[in-house]
Amino acid sequence: MTLPQPLLDRLAAAAVAEGLADAVYTRLKTPIGTLTIVQGERGVVRVGFDDDDVPALLAEVAAGLGPRVVASDAELAATRDAVAGYFEGDGNPLDLPVDLALVRSPFRRAALEELRRVAAGDVVTYGELARRIDHPRAARAVGSACATNPVPIVVPCHRVVPGSGGVGSYGGGPAIKRRLLAHEGARV
Amino acid sequence: MRSVVLPPFWSLVEAHGDELLTHARRLAGEANGEDVLQEALLRALRAYPRLRHAEHLRAWLYRITTTTAMDHHRRRAREVLTDEPPEVAAADPRHYDDAFESLIAPLPDTARTALRLRFVDDLDYAGVARALGCSTEAARQRVSTAIRTLRTQGVAA
Repeated sequence: MTLPQPLLDRLAAAAVAEGLADAVYTRLKTPIGTLTIVQGERGVVRVGFDDDDVPALLAEVAAGLGPRVVASDAELAATRDAVAGYFEGDGNPLDLPVDLALVRSPFRRAALEELRRVAAGDVVTYGELARRIDHPRAARAVGSACATNPVPIVVPCHRVVPGSGGVGSYGGGPAIKRRLLAHEGARV
Repeated sequence: MRSVVLPPFWSLVEAHGDELLTHARRLAGEANGEDVLQEALLRALRAYPRLRHAEHLRAWLYRITTTTAMDHHRRRAREVLTDEPPEVAAADPRHYDDAFESLIAPLPDTARTALRLRFVDDLDYAGVARALGCSTEAARQRVSTAIRTLRTQGVAA
C-alpha cells in the first residue's frame, strides 16, 4: 500500500512550486512499453525503457542532479502530452527541451547535441555523425555516445545506423529501434 | 562534489509513507494526519540535501513528522489564545488543546510540563529551563526524551 494519490500529488506540486525538486519523474504507457521520463529544471534529463531498472535509474539521476527526486504526472503533463503525441500522430516531432547534465564527457555531449539535428524520417551513420562533429575517425566513440545516451527517443539515437547496413544495436533492443524508425517513415 | 549519496527522496516516500501517515494521524488526529504529513515531508525535502549521511533516514522522517505534529498542536493552541474574541477566550486554558493533552497524557508529570512549556507556551529552552529551575541542557534533554518516548510509543503501537 502506498500513500493516497491526492496527498502525493499535493506534495509533489508544493515541492515543485517551492523550487525544492531537483528532478520530477513520471511513468508513461506507450506502444513500446512504459517509459520512465525524468525532467530537471532545464529539460528532460533521462528516459528509461520498460525493462530498465527504475530505482537504479532514479539513483543515477539523484547522484547527478541532486537527491530531491519526486514523482508527478501532473507536473509533467506537457511532457507526457508531447511524448504521447509523438507516438500517436503522423510525424509529430518530439521537440522537448533536453538537459544533458548526466553526460559527463564533452565529446559524447557534442555527439548527442549534433544528433538532435537529425530529423524524424532521416537516418545518419555513426561515421557520418562523427564527421559532422569534426572527428571523422571517431565513429566507434560516437557509437558509445549513442549507447550511453541518457535521453533515448527524445535525443534520437535510434536514427543512427551502421554504415554496413541494418539498424544496428539499441538500448531498448533492435526491435524497438526498427519500430521507431518505421513509425517515423525512415527507410533502412 | 557531494560526498554523501542520498537515495532519491521519492523512494523514501514510497518506502515509509504509509507508516508515517499512521504516525501523523496518531499524533495529530485522523482529520489532520494528511496535512501534517505533507508539511513534514516538505520540511524533510527542504533539509534533505544538507544531510551529512544517509543513515537512519526512516528515523529522521519520524522525527520530523513528530515535530510537525507538535507544531500543529502548538499553532492551534496559539490561534485559540490570540484569535478568539475575549468572551470566548475566557475559556479554561485546559480546553485549548485537548488533542495535545491526550497525546502527552501517558507521559510522566515532569515530561508533560516540559512539553507544555516548550510547545504550548512556546518558550525557548532557556525559558523552559527557568520555569523548571534546571539548566538549559537539562531542559533540552527533558523535552527530547519526552518526544522520543512519544515517538517510540507511536511506532510500537
